[in-house]
Amino acid sequence: MSGSLLITFDKVWKSYGQGEATVHALAGVDLAIRHGEFVAIMGPSGSGKSTAMNIIGCLDTPTAGTYSFMGIDAGRLDRNRRAMLRNLYVGFVFQGYNLLPRTTAVENVELPLIYRGVAARERHDLAMKALAEVGLVGREHHTPAELSGGQQQRVAIARAIVTRPTLLVADEPTGNLDTARTHEIMELLTRLNTELGLTIAMVTHEADVAGYAERTIRFLDGHVASDAMNLEVV
Amino acid sequence: MIWETVRLSLLSVRRNVLRSFLTLLGIVIGVAAVIAMLTIGSGTTEKVKADISKLGSNLLVVRPGRPAGPGGPGGLDQATRPLGSKELAALVTHLSGARAISPASQKQVRVIFGTESLTSGVTGTDSAYLDARDWKLVSGRPFSDSEIRSGTGVCLIGETVRLQFFGAGDPEGEIIRVNRTSCRIIGLLEPKGYTGFGQDQDNVVLMPLAAYQRRIAGNRDIDSIYVAADDRTPTTELLPRVEDILRDTRRITPDRENDFSIRDMTQIADAMASATTTMTGMLGAVAGVSLLVGGIGIMNIMLVSVTERTREIGIRLAIGAHENHILIQFLVEATVLSLLGGIIGILIGLALAGLASLTLAIPFAPSPAVILLAVGFSALIGMVFGFFPALRGARLDPIDALRHE
Repeated sequence: MSGSLLITFDKVWKSYGQGEATVHALAGVDLAIRHGEFVAIMGPSGSGKSTAMNIIGCLDTPTAGTYSFMGIDAGRLDRNRRAMLRNLYVGFVFQGYNLLPRTTAVENVELPLIYRGVAARERHDLAMKALAEVGLVGREHHTPAELSGGQQQRVAIARAIVTRPTLLVADEPTGNLDTARTHEIMELLTRLNTELGLTIAMVTHEADVAGYAERTIRFLDGHVASDAMNLEVV
Repeated sequence: MIWETVRLSLLSVRRNVLRSFLTLLGIVIGVAAVIAMLTIGSGTTEKVKADISKLGSNLLVVRPGRPAGPGGPGGLDQATRPLGSKELAALVTHLSGARAISPASQKQVRVIFGTESLTSGVTGTDSAYLDARDWKLVSGRPFSDSEIRSGTGVCLIGETVRLQFFGAGDPEGEIIRVNRTSCRIIGLLEPKGYTGFGQDQDNVVLMPLAAYQRRIAGNRDIDSIYVAADDRTPTTELLPRVEDILRDTRRITPDRENDFSIRDMTQIADAMASATTTMTGMLGAVAGVSLLVGGIGIMNIMLVSVTERTREIGIRLAIGAHENHILIQFLVEATVLSLLGGIIGILIGLALAGLASLTLAIPFAPSPAVILLAVGFSALIGMVFGFFPALRGARLDPIDALRHE
């Protein structure tokens, strides 16, 4: 499964505003990510890395150029088709966890399955399994407020992988965590990458976090400044 | 999926109990007002119908004097010729399709027994009167033909008169004084209660017409003639026959108007009933306006809810919710909210109507159709007023929504 192209950017532009005030968040980016890769995306703020991530996650579409996801011209799909694509193939992990408040861990994990139309019993079983996979047994019925930051992020990861996605999009997944917790979460992501063959695209601004990935893409001023394999895993 | 959404919206209602309650208040008040109005209104209509049927069903009432207008009271002008035994006799002889024809002359007169006195409606009539008015005797006997003919001093009394003079005792055979003449009680009328106009129908004394004319009225006039139609004859058919006979008897030439009026009690009943129905409808419509206001309250709170939960919407959209999922979620929430308000409103409205029916002595007449309509209408309000906020939520850009703090 590893090796074939999952994501390609072909001269992707993303522009905001009009006329003189036009800002190009992405200015003709070419990029390719293969199945099974673990890619870190870095760059200062305003470099275009977040815009690129939004397009990769099928949340946003390019102004010009072609974004293809699994060979589908995802940049030309309407909102609902992209929602379907996300539901079927993409899992999201955010810096701020983005769990539904006052909703238990298992209910949070069940959420993407609800939109897939999975029956309640099966949904529950799958969610419990995903929570076990991220090492969160015994906390299934706690609400986010009753969980630590690391535990919340594990719930978020469980929610992302419960649908067995092809791609995991992680936006600063350790941004709110201390060093020990960061290490744990990164270990978990690495394990998911190797064991499940999950392709991971992760935005980070910390070099040691990026070090867990196999490859680092650096953005600067809407361009890819560098794109290199990480030779030594930290 | 839908059940999930309903559960979710109940959860969100429960999370904001106070806010949900305040939002619901508009719908609760609106629905309660509509239900109370319509229930009390239909009770009043029933009451009015029952009251008028107490006056006698399928009954025509002939009175001297030109009719003032359709359905209006017959005005007595100076040239009015009273009705007399001639008209009564003509009707009794010639009219077909009548079950009972009876004269009645009435006056408010002081009635005395022992040291007690009471001002009562004293009516001079004959034995057909009970039949014409559908009145029954609880005890005793009606007037005999000889008593009618000779105008003997005998009378039938209503329940109020009995209570005033005899309490729970048996009045039969007692002698009461009616306007300085004495009168022996031979029977007791069945209690009929008050009319919708507050008139006590049991404060009555009936005596033979001849006795009334001689001892109380001092003339030979008849105030009114009651004509009750038989089962096969509608009053609308009977009325022109009565009119023909009376015009003939009173020798009214075709170029002149009637100098008497005939009132059809059935038509009056229908007119009164439709008047109360119209009134009820209008009050209901006014109450309906508060439902509209309640709907705007729902819209307002749903807009707040959508804004508050922008981030949640972003999460849902990111993990693959369609626009329609979000739309339905908030639509269901608005509908559940207003439906809840509707149900509470119905309960309060029925309670109010029940209370009103107790205090106003009207029948409690809840209509399943009205209740069903209120449920449907409150759900509809939720959907209509929830649609715009829900659409706003569904159209959010997931990226912006996720960034929302």
